[in-house]
Amino acid sequence: MGSLSFDAAPVPVRDDIAAALPRVWARIGEPGSWLTAEQRVAIAAEARNVAGCTLCEDRKAAVSPYAITGEHSHLGALPAVWVDVIHRVISDPSRLTERWFREVTDGGISVEEYVELIGVVVSVVGIDTYCLGIDQAAPAIPAPKPGAPSPDKPDQLNAELAWVPTLDADVDGPLQQEFYAGAPANIRRALTLVPATARSFWEMANTLYMNGAQMRDFGTEYRAISHAQIEMIAGRVSALNQCVY
Amino acid sequence: MNALLGQNGDESGIPNAGILIEFAEAAVGADSPRLDAARAAVIEAMGGAALSDAAGVAALFNAIDRVADSTGIPLEEEKAELTADMRDQLGINEFGAVPEA
Repeated sequence: MGSLSFDAAPVPVRDDIAAALPRVWARIGEPGSWLTAEQRVAIAAEARNVAGCTLCEDRKAAVSPYAITGEHSHLGALPAVWVDVIHRVISDPSRLTERWFREVTDGGISVEEYVELIGVVVSVVGIDTYCLGIDQAAPAIPAPKPGAPSPDKPDQLNAELAWVPTLDADVDGPLQQEFYAGAPANIRRALTLVPATARSFWEMANTLYMNGAQMRDFGTEYRAISHAQIEMIAGRVSALNQCVY
Repeated sequence: MNALLGQNGDESGIPNAGILIEFAEAAVGADSPRLDAARAAVIEAMGGAALSDAAGVAALFNAIDRVADSTGIPLEEEKAELTADMRDQLGINEFGAVPEA
């Protein structure tokens, strides 16, 4: 129950996608670094629940989403602040503000929990969007496995780059070698406060898109579509999401 | 660049640009018949493996956009300088603008 497989996919799926995405999906049902498996599964379920939320629809249509108050249409398994994070990230991510981020992390979710929550949400977004794209049914959310979280946070953090602390890129260490090899674009730093979350996200990203070396190797085509076609799709989706980065 | 912001890409010189842009839009939208048609068009023009890879890119950027927006990761200074004129011309700097609450 709750596993992902591409054995019966309607189109050919690359071996690396078929191997990586089921692992990423399964981790949702495992204890994380700061969140229990029950919390992670509840976050995934709430992420899928956002589509029918009328408060999110009203905020999306408003000039300022922060002028609209109310209660989200939610599943009842998570604190209100966590629900608000999930719903805003899913429905209107381009209008998240640092002020809002400070308010939520000062009043109901730690920054570490926030980063891990984001990791779960975007795993659902990525995998659900891929399955929809190839016309395969979205996988059931995994059942939560027993066990406690394994807290893990880098010793060397940079608190100035982004809203969230990130692994310090000016220090040479094993985590920096793992996450920042090559040309470390800022996006590579985004989830590094919780290394396991960053690791799982980039496992998904490197298979659905390309890894850094492949991305920069314009002399070789690694996919059934070209670099130019890939970047055109990427740019169009990001424009639709109004993502400046 | 205009293909990214709303035109169909026919002038981009990229093969099958229009089909892929239509698929990208449909993949992150909520219109099922539109997505069904867009998938079929990709498969007919480019094959099933291309559909899978196109879906992968659309999926990843639907996710990674949310990583960037929710963590406040800034655009790198060098990229901001290189793209300043382009971003201004294309209106990208207005993305996500929110009046002060």
